[in-house]
Amino acid sequence: MSTPVSSAAGSRAELTLEDVEGLACLDSGQAVLFGALFSFAEALDRMFVRVATRWAAQEYRFPTFIAAAELDRVDYFRSFPHLATFPACLDPDEANLDTFCRDEPVRGDGVVQLTAVAPVSDVLTPAACYHLYVHHQGAGFDTPRYFTTTNTCFRREAHYRPLERLWSFTMREIVCMGDRDEVHAFLTEASAVVDAIVSNLGLAARWTPASDPFFRAPTNPKSLMQKIDPTKQEMVFDGRLAIASANFHHDHFGRAFGITRTTATGAEQVHSGCVAFGIERWLAALAHTFGPAPARWPDLDSLVVHNVGGTGV
Amino acid sequence: MTSTFLHMSRGPLDIREALREWILERRPDLAPDAIDEHTPLIEARYLESLDVAELLLFVEQLRGRPIDIDALTPGAFRDIDTLHTTFFGEPAQ
Repeated sequence: MSTPVSSAAGSRAELTLEDVEGLACLDSGQAVLFGALFSFAEALDRMFVRVATRWAAQEYRFPTFIAAAELDRVDYFRSFPHLATFPACLDPDEANLDTFCRDEPVRGDGVVQLTAVAPVSDVLTPAACYHLYVHHQGAGFDTPRYFTTTNTCFRREAHYRPLERLWSFTMREIVCMGDRDEVHAFLTEASAVVDAIVSNLGLAARWTPASDPFFRAPTNPKSLMQKIDPTKQEMVFDGRLAIASANFHHDHFGRAFGITRTTATGAEQVHSGCVAFGIERWLAALAHTFGPAPARWPDLDSLVVHNVGGTGV
Repeated sequence: MTSTFLHMSRGPLDIREALREWILERRPDLAPDAIDEHTPLIEARYLESLDVAELLLFVEQLRGRPIDIDALTPGAFRDIDTLHTTFFGEPAQ
């Protein structure tokens, strides 16, 4: 499968992402990274963690599943039913398992012939930051709080492209929970830092207003709301590929999970915002810009990522 | 009720008042004087996404013609004054 060619300065005349060294593409819309490409993915994540140190963000590692009932509090399933991926298990009843084993468990075309399925109450992580709001539900903060976490995220799509649109991909996020002004300040600063990184790397990308891929967007009230109150900016590479996003949630998660921010004037529902980085998409942008050999890509560990506002890290 | 509002019979002040009353009906927790023409409706979270969708229908009803959703711009629902300028001003959207 070939991918449109970037017109960015320094890019090759034509690049097929399957040709990137250290990448194997699966028909299921997933990617295998190895060798120099895997090392570069790790270096990207280290770079974003260094960005997070600007706010002394506390690092978390969360599991792969998240309780569906928790995401239901923010109406996730009505907003994005087309993206959700659920972990399904067979009903543990022995007769059911016998039936499953006795018949052909997997058909020749790869489809699993499920027998009775146990009740599903979890969903595979659709975005890394959701775990943070669930984890901190009921908390009260008297200062702004900053967190960072990464996770393999799952979004079912109608079609996939190597590195650029995957069923499972790696997302690093930095999250601020505070009052409105604190979150705005965080997003402004974080956006500037990402701008500096993109510029230092020479990527042809810029911040662009965006909206989330709501189900039936034209008639979805949340989509309408995002149109009149833009809360999402994406760092779009080559005019087509979002490699990062900056999102202002108002007090959406604070209200849903009872998280408060206490100030001198009292307690209010916490506001939140996040910047998110899609690791595989950064790899795609770098491949389009610098060619298929990751060994020739810029050294990220020596890249200054905090040369915004006078702090160099 | 809302279905009795007719744009032709209402001047600018009536329309602004109708919008204000509609919002207060949706938010009985707010004091009547909590909303004026310049109160930031979205920023203050007085309107949620479902409210905005229904307010859009109410505005269409008030002015007697549909709103082009594709032509909506950020800030169009910022406050009552902006709503009036955007959807009831001349030239109309």
